[in-house]
Formats: sequence, C-alpha cells, structure tokens
Amino acid sequence: MTDTKNHTAGAAGSLEGRVFRPASAAEAAEAVELAFDYRGDVTLSLASGELIVGYLYNRLVADRDSYIEIFPSDHPAPRRIPYDAIASIAFTGEDTANGKSWEIWVSKKESERQAEAERVEADARTRGHL
Amino acid sequence: MAVPLSQMYTVSKYVLTQKLKGVKRYPLVLMLEPLFRCNLACAGCGKIQYPDHVLDKRLTPEQCWAAAEECGAPIVSIPGGEPLIHPEIARIVQGLVDQKRYVYLCTNAILLERKLDEYQPSKFLTFSVHMDGLKNEHDLAVCRDGVYDVAVKAIKAALKRGHRVTTNTTMFDDANPERIRKFFDEMMALGVEGMMISPGYSYQKAPDQQHFLKRERTRELFSKILGSPKRGWQFNQSPLFLEFLMGHREYQCTPWGNPTYNVFGWQKPCYLLQEGYTKTFRELMELTAWDNYGTGRNEKCADCMVHCGYEASAVEDTFGTVSGFARTAKLTLLPTSR
Repeated sequence: MTDTKNHTAGAAGSLEGRVFRPASAAEAAEAVELAFDYRGDVTLSLASGELIVGYLYNRLVADRDSYIEIFPSDHPAPRRIPYDAIASIAFTGEDTANGKSWEIWVSKKESERQAEAERVEADARTRGHL
Repeated sequence: MAVPLSQMYTVSKYVLTQKLKGVKRYPLVLMLEPLFRCNLACAGCGKIQYPDHVLDKRLTPEQCWAAAEECGAPIVSIPGGEPLIHPEIARIVQGLVDQKRYVYLCTNAILLERKLDEYQPSKFLTFSVHMDGLKNEHDLAVCRDGVYDVAVKAIKAALKRGHRVTTNTTMFDDANPERIRKFFDEMMALGVEGMMISPGYSYQKAPDQQHFLKRERTRELFSKILGSPKRGWQFNQSPLFLEFLMGHREYQCTPWGNPTYNVFGWQKPCYLLQEGYTKTFRELMELTAWDNYGTGRNEKCADCMVHCGYEASAVEDTFGTVSGFARTAKLTLLPTSR
C-alpha cells in the first residue's frame, strides 16, 4: 500500500496525517481496516473526483461488492461507498483517542491535570451539559 | 434482597420461555447507547472518543423503542455517553417502561438531581449511578474533582423521591481491596438497592490499554474483595457472576446476551468489541460469527471477564443446571455463605 509519506506527523502511534493510496483490492481492504479502527475523521478521495470528509464507522467485506459506511461531517445521513470507488484515504481528522491513556493522565503534573479537567468542564458547560 | 421479586420473576419467566422454545441464543439485557457525548472525559473510557459531529448524533425515542421491541430483552441498560444529556431521554425511558421493560439508566449523576422531576418512580426504572470508589479514587477516575460529592447528593435525592438506585463500579488494576470494601459500606449506608461491579477490560478502542485487569489479577482482586462479604452488602447482579469473578466458576462468554444498539446500528459482536454493525437485530444474531469470540477463541477476548459477556453466562448456568440453580438460590438467600 502506498503511504505518500508527505504527511505532517501525528502523535506517536497515531495514523493522523497519513494518506493511503491503495494499488490493489487487498491494499484497499487494508486501508479501510485502518480507517475503521481510527477514532477521527478521514477524507475519502473517490475515483470520480469527489471528496468525502467523515467518520468511517462500518464496512462489509464480501467476495464482491465490499463497501464502507461513513457519516459525512457535513450531512446527517450516512453514505455507502464501494471499495473500488475509493482512490485514497487520508487520516485528516484529529485522532480523538490518542494521548488519552490513564498513564498519561496520572503522569501529568497536577497543574496540567487541573488545566485539562477545567477545559473539559468548560466545554461541557458551553454545550449546556452541566 | 437486591433485585425485586417481580423483576426476578420476569427474568426467570423470560429465560425459561426461551429454553422451552429451544432458542439457543437469546438476549438478556439490551445495551442501548442513545448518544456518545458525555460531560466527563474519564481516562479509562473508550466510548467517547469520536469527532464532534458523531458525538452530536442522538438516537430518537422511536429508534430506541423499536430497538427494544426488536430485541425483546426484558432488561434495558442505557449507558453512553451520559444519557441525561440527551434532550429526550426521559421520554425514551418512559416509553421503555410502558413496554414493561426493566430499565437501568446509567449516569454519572452530575445532572441527576436537576432532572429528577422528569421521572416517575417505578419498579421498572432504576438509576444506576457510576461510582468508581471512595471520593479520592472516584474523582481521580473521572478526572474531575467534586463529582463524588455531587453523585452522593443526587443518590440521596433520588432515594428520597422513592426511586430505585443502584451503583455501577468498574475496577481497575490499582484497586485497593480494603478501600473497595469501605466503599461498599458507604454505598449501602446511603440506602442504595444494590451494587453492580465489573472488572475493567482493555477493549479494542479504549485509549487506556495498560491499566485494565488481567484474568488472574481479576480473580485475586475479587477474591480479596468478596471473599468474606458483609451481611449488609447487596449486589444487583447474578451471584454466580460474582463467583466467576472470584475464580470459583468457569464460564465461556455469552456475547449475544447483552446486544448493543447505538447511532451506528447493532454492534458486532458485543458491547466492548467493535467489529462492525448491522441494520437489524436479526442480522446481528444471524450474521455474527459467534463461535469466533470468547476466551481461548479470540486474542481480543483473552482476559475479558466483564459483566456484558459473562453475566448472561451466569444466568444461563442458573437456569440450565441443577447445581447452578441450587447455588444461586443459596447465595441469594444466604449471601454470606460464599
């Protein structure tokens, strides 16, 4: 599978910023699996030239007619895209799971923990969830 | 007795009916996730790491009611995210109560006291409050100071209004058995109906992959905690599941026992693993390769002992074997005989 390499490096262990241009059905399947496990938006470039930005939440692998399902970031309804229509998959959205481990939380200085907790609390308050 | 007789009767009747019908795989608890958005960001939680546009999605009341009907489980557990954020959650709950399902509304209780007016006390509705330990441990686990005190205040308010209230606790590998036992004392002193406990598990997408319990450590920890239970402790779960956690019984996972429905659809194969989604419950049951999951069958499941996979196994043991039934009866009537 071609990883263009010309990406901005995401956090260690994250695919954030990488772009995959599958050259075969097997490579397409591999890239889709990575995108399915990714906790951020991806940008699909279709063979038709269309670009779709969204969260890839499902895929069905079949002998023929494999497809992915994606929630576009700008539309409430999901879309179904055949594997063979995908020209590239770019991991363009923030990897929301990265750097959120318990160890990282505990290893932070108290002031950093406090600042992060206050940021999360302020965000929830802004949304009216507190 | 932690679980009311009417609920025991309903679940017993349901399970026995499935057995008489010859149904091999049946759901026991629907895990209904109406949203992923939360007002906390706990370090051990893998349920809330999504882009904003996904966190803003909600199941509608009609989708929730249809999922419960389609699934048919007598119990519905509503986790999330934080369900009380959902603007229509009270209506969703009432609709499920109208279906005569036993609903466990899981909440961190931050909004609970403020929203209590929206709920009528009912034997079908239980607030299951997330409490991960005493004040210091809980506030550290949820990554915010003061949440324990808010939750305790909300529990008292809910109990005062006549609601059923339980606690749900996830234990991680740094749990201190003595502190946990003291925590059980405090929760029972509040007057909750019972407690639910489960080991944490490093499921696939949880960000905290190093901090969850391995199997042997799980058994050791729960043996220390539950080995000599106090008379006043009540657990709102199968006594055989607690025996399983202590290493006294061996079970294989029952992933179809707690099917999960959320904004993506029916989740394959279980509440913790995300291997894909189906549009219907029937597709979930028919298209999932169930034999590929469980300890010894799948490396992702190797150390899992979580309630969503094994509590249904314990219930199956109760109704499927004479020894299981006898042991359940004994532990229910004499919980300190463990």
